[in-house]
Order: sequence, then C-alpha cells, then structure tokens
Amino acid sequence: MADLWSLIVLDPMINGLLALSSLFPKAAEFGLAIIILTVVVRVASTPLVRRQLKSTKAMQEMQPRIQELQKKYGKNKQKIQQEMMKVYKEAGVNPIGCMWPMLVQFPIWIALYQSIMKSLATTPENLLDLSRHLYSSPRIAQAIPVNSQFLWLDLGQPDRTLILAILVGGTMWVQQKMTTAPSADPRQRSTSSTMLLMMPLMFGLFTMMFPSGLPLFWLVSNVIGIATQYVITGGWGYLKRPSAVSSAQPAARKRR
Amino acid sequence: MRIKVLVWVGLLVVGLAASGCLGSTGPQGYSGVVSSDGILYMGSADGKVVAVSPAARAQGLSFPSSDGEWSFAIMMPSKSFFSCGSSSVAANIYSTPVAANGLICVGIYDGKVMMVSPADRARDLPFPQMRSGEWIYPRGDDVIEAIVGSAVATDDSVYVCCSDGRVYALDISYGDERWRSDPLGAKLWTTPVVDGESIYVSTFDGHIYALSVANGSRLPWSFEAESGFSSSPVLYENTIFVGSFDRNLYAVRIGSDQPLWKFAGGNWFWCRPVVEEGVVYAGCLDGKVYAIDAASGKGLWSRPFDTGSPVVASPLMVGESLVVASDSGDIYVINPTTGTGDRIRNRENDEESSIESQILAPFCEQDGIVYIRGQDNYLYSVDVARRDIKAKLSLS
Repeated sequence: MADLWSLIVLDPMINGLLALSSLFPKAAEFGLAIIILTVVVRVASTPLVRRQLKSTKAMQEMQPRIQELQKKYGKNKQKIQQEMMKVYKEAGVNPIGCMWPMLVQFPIWIALYQSIMKSLATTPENLLDLSRHLYSSPRIAQAIPVNSQFLWLDLGQPDRTLILAILVGGTMWVQQKMTTAPSADPRQRSTSSTMLLMMPLMFGLFTMMFPSGLPLFWLVSNVIGIATQYVITGGWGYLKRPSAVSSAQPAARKRR
Repeated sequence: MRIKVLVWVGLLVVGLAASGCLGSTGPQGYSGVVSSDGILYMGSADGKVVAVSPAARAQGLSFPSSDGEWSFAIMMPSKSFFSCGSSSVAANIYSTPVAANGLICVGIYDGKVMMVSPADRARDLPFPQMRSGEWIYPRGDDVIEAIVGSAVATDDSVYVCCSDGRVYALDISYGDERWRSDPLGAKLWTTPVVDGESIYVSTFDGHIYALSVANGSRLPWSFEAESGFSSSPVLYENTIFVGSFDRNLYAVRIGSDQPLWKFAGGNWFWCRPVVEEGVVYAGCLDGKVYAIDAASGKGLWSRPFDTGSPVVASPLMVGESLVVASDSGDIYVINPTTGTGDRIRNRENDEESSIESQILAPFCEQDGIVYIRGQDNYLYSVDVARRDIKAKLSLS
C-alpha cells in the first residue's frame, strides 16, 4: 500500500517539486518551488473548493430553518432528523456535500506535506530515504540537495522569530472568519468561536515546532484560500459581517 | 465546556496525525567502528562513545570490563523550542571516531568536536581532562553546525567538515582553532582527504576543492561537476574518486578540469569507495557493488554483485575478500577477482538477513573479524573466514 502511494502520488510530487526548484535561482529555489507547487495544487483543486464553499454556504443559509425545527420538535431527535432530511431534499442540498471535496483534497495535502519534508532532507537518513523516491533525470540530480534558505528562513528548521507563526495563525483566522457564520444558538456559537481561535493558535504552535518549509506551505495555502473565497463568495464574507446573528434572527422570525 | 475539551482533543489528534504523516524523522546517527591498539571505538545510537575490547568479549566478561572498555555519554542542551530550563538530550553521532596520538577524536552532529582520552574515560573522570589532552571544540555552550563526516587527524591537527560549509582545522593537543575555511557552498557532510600540503573536499554543490593545510585558503585547482557530490572522496595515485547525485562515480585527476571517467550506477554512490591495486570497489544505493578499473573506468566483473538492498556502508577489504553490508542487514563476502560471493547466514533463521538490523555505518576489521554496528545499536562480530556471526553486544 505504501509502495502504491509512493508510486502514484508521492514520487511524482517529490520529483515535480525538485524539478520545479531547479528552474529558480539557487538562492531561493526551494522556497519558490513550494510556493509555486502550492499555487498549482490550490488552483487545480478550485472546482472542488468551489463546490465545498457552495455547499457550506447553502447549509449556512438553511440554519434558521433547522433551528426552527429543533425548537418545534424539542427532544424528539428522530423527528428532527426526518424533517431536516426533508428540508435538505427540498433545497436540493446534500448535508455531506461539503465534506467529500474536502476528503478528496486530503490525500493531496498529505502528499504535498510529505514531498516538502522528504525533499528538504534535513538529516542524512532523510537524504538517503529521498534517494528511493527520485527519478533518473539530470534536472532532478542538479536540484539535490535543495537549498533550504529562503528569505529569513531556513526551511529545514523551525522559525524562531515568531513572524511565520503570526502570519500562519493570522491568515488562518481570517480564512476561517470569512466562512464561519455566527450562530444564534449559544452552544454552537461557543463551539465555533473556540474553533475560530484554537485552529490558528494550534497551527501557530505547529509553526514553531515544524521545519519552516511546512508553515510556508500553510501560509501560501491560507492566502490562496482567502483569495479563492473572496472571489467565489464575492467579498470578505463573515469577516466584515459580524452582525449576521442579528440579521439571521429576524429572518427566522419573519418566516415563522 | 465539554465541547471545548472535545475540540481541543480533536485538534491535538489532527496535529499528531499530521505530524505522523510528514514522513520525516529526526537524526538517528550511524557512527561506524574503528580499531586502535586492540580496542574498538564507536558512537552509539544513544549518544555515547563506546570502547569495546574484543579480548574481553572473547572471555565473556561483563561489559564494560576493566580491559580498556568504557562508555562515555555525551549530552547536549535540548534545541526544542518548548524545552524548559536546562534540559539536555543525548547527542547524535554520525562521525566515525578517529584514533589520534593515543586519544580518540569524534565529531558530534549537534556541533561539537571532542578529543577523549581512553584512560580517563575508563576511570569516568569529569570531561575534559586537559592534562590528558582531552578537549572540546567549541568550548562551553557554543556549538558549530552539524558534523556528519569523520575527522581526519595528522601529527598536529584535526580537520573536520561542517554543515556550515566550512572545513575546520583544530590543534590536536588543545583543540584551539587553527583556521576555518571560507564557506565552500552548501553543507559539508563528507570526510576530507588530507594529502601532504593539501586538503581535498567534495561538496553537495558539485565541487572538489583543494585547500591549503597551512591556512585553509583555496588552492588554484578545483573541479566542478553539474550535480552535487554525494560521497566522501578517496585519493589514489593522484586521482580522486567520488560519487555524485547524478548517479555516476567520478574519477578526477588532480589538476584537471575534466573527469578522467564517469561510471554510471542505478542510484547514488553514497558510500566512500575502496581502491585496492588499481581497482575501485564502489557500493551503490541501487543495491549493487561495482568493481571498476581505476585507470580506464571499465567495469571488471561480468556483472555487478547484487545485494538486493542499498549499500550505504563502505565496503572493506579483509585479506583476499571484499566484505559488503547492505541496508537490509545482509553481509556478503565477495571474491574481488570474480565478483561472486556468499551471504553470511543468520544463525537463528536462514531466511532472515544476516543480522536483523539496518547497516548504515562504516565497519572495521581486527584479526580477521569484522565489527559492524547495526542501527539496532548492537555491535556484531563477523568471522569472515567461517562466514559466521560470532557474537553481538548491546551498546545501550
């Protein structure tokens, strides 16, 4: 299974990354290669992201109706489920529709993670391991070993300056804030506000632990995510609409 | 509150899973074994320099015996961002120890070079004992970049390549820095060659540089290839033999800007080749061992010897035989003339590899016995004549 994963996904990505890095000036080759490959992968997965965002948006728009059902049927969970399925069917929305594009992307992200880390080959064992994944090509050979210096970063070492951690955490918060609809339900609001803070904090923490090639990938990915959401949803979403709770509540009352 | 805890736990699980999927591990070390004055010295996987007496092992004494055996644990300050206070961790050792004027010199991956006295380490005295010639470079808490290649000792100096791209020359008696070269490009993970007034270094960015022994300045000659060099160089009759990331073994005559020849393998020539009587024996990560005519670059065997697994540790000539160990733990004794050989059998299970451990580290021979440190942190003794694993000793 691991061999198949390497053959089909990981090896092409590692070799692509290294071939790409050989195109750039040695001083910034691998940093630029990470950025370009992340952009390519994000652009290639735009149809999936678009689908995911649309499903998420549709689900969010249905929240007032769902809340109505929850109030109406109280603790009868079976009835709530039945009614919710009816509502989804009427609206033509698949409740797990926003999940599968994410699941499809997940292996791609894992492969990208692995290819960055393996290509960086920070230790002799890592470099030996990298030799098992490479194609026989002069371009690949010239890229080995990669120059891990990029701007102020050593991509093979964690960034001690906190700059990258703040950038990763900040962009992640913005990206999440753009899509997280404030809920009228206090419990849900508490959960989503926790998530909104915790994810950026966790990734900020990871940034200080992992070789900075990986946080660079997260940062670029977040920035592209923000841009994609801005284009697809036509604005800053909930980042600039914190009053969505109050606007959602009258709409729900009106329907009642 | 419960939801928040669940969210936290979920995020932690995701984080740990992500880190597990990264496919990258920290340094493990693969220090080799060297023999000096009847004692074997090596770095262990748990950051110790260990001295083993084959004579004491033959007598079945408990380790360490008083027969010159000891183990010296090297601790380094933790580099983790989240470590508290003055926490320390075991050092990582890739460098094979080198005997120098009755002492043992070893480079540490964590950025130190150490000269240790076997007599003082056997007595477990505080390190360093300056009066015995022990030293540490740099002193105190200072470190240089990672050291992977082995040091080379001459009468008055120790030369070592460093990951900061420099070669360091240290006074053999006191460990003072005599000079450090200008950066020679990317990190240097190789062992230099010292020949008369010159030091030859192969680099990851595809150069072979000649430096002055006196002051580390670059001498007029250097050689440049299109790809980086993966192995340490070997000098034989004014020709340097070195493996490259372009999967070729290069022969470069000193003074020439063109290779004498290039020999293509199926992967990198990672380990240092062995040159004996005009023949280059080179292990390759494609799992094969090649015998190549040093003058012409022609393969000498009808076909290369296939071990079936990458050859990371340098081959070793033992009498009339070539001993080769593969990454999977198989050990072979090869006839260097014909290129045919036998696999040394596993004592317990013939189906298994010779030893049940990866072999990455260089090995040595003493009195017809080959000593190999496996990545399982055991020292194996191999009787070449009998094609038998004699014994193993835990270094932990």
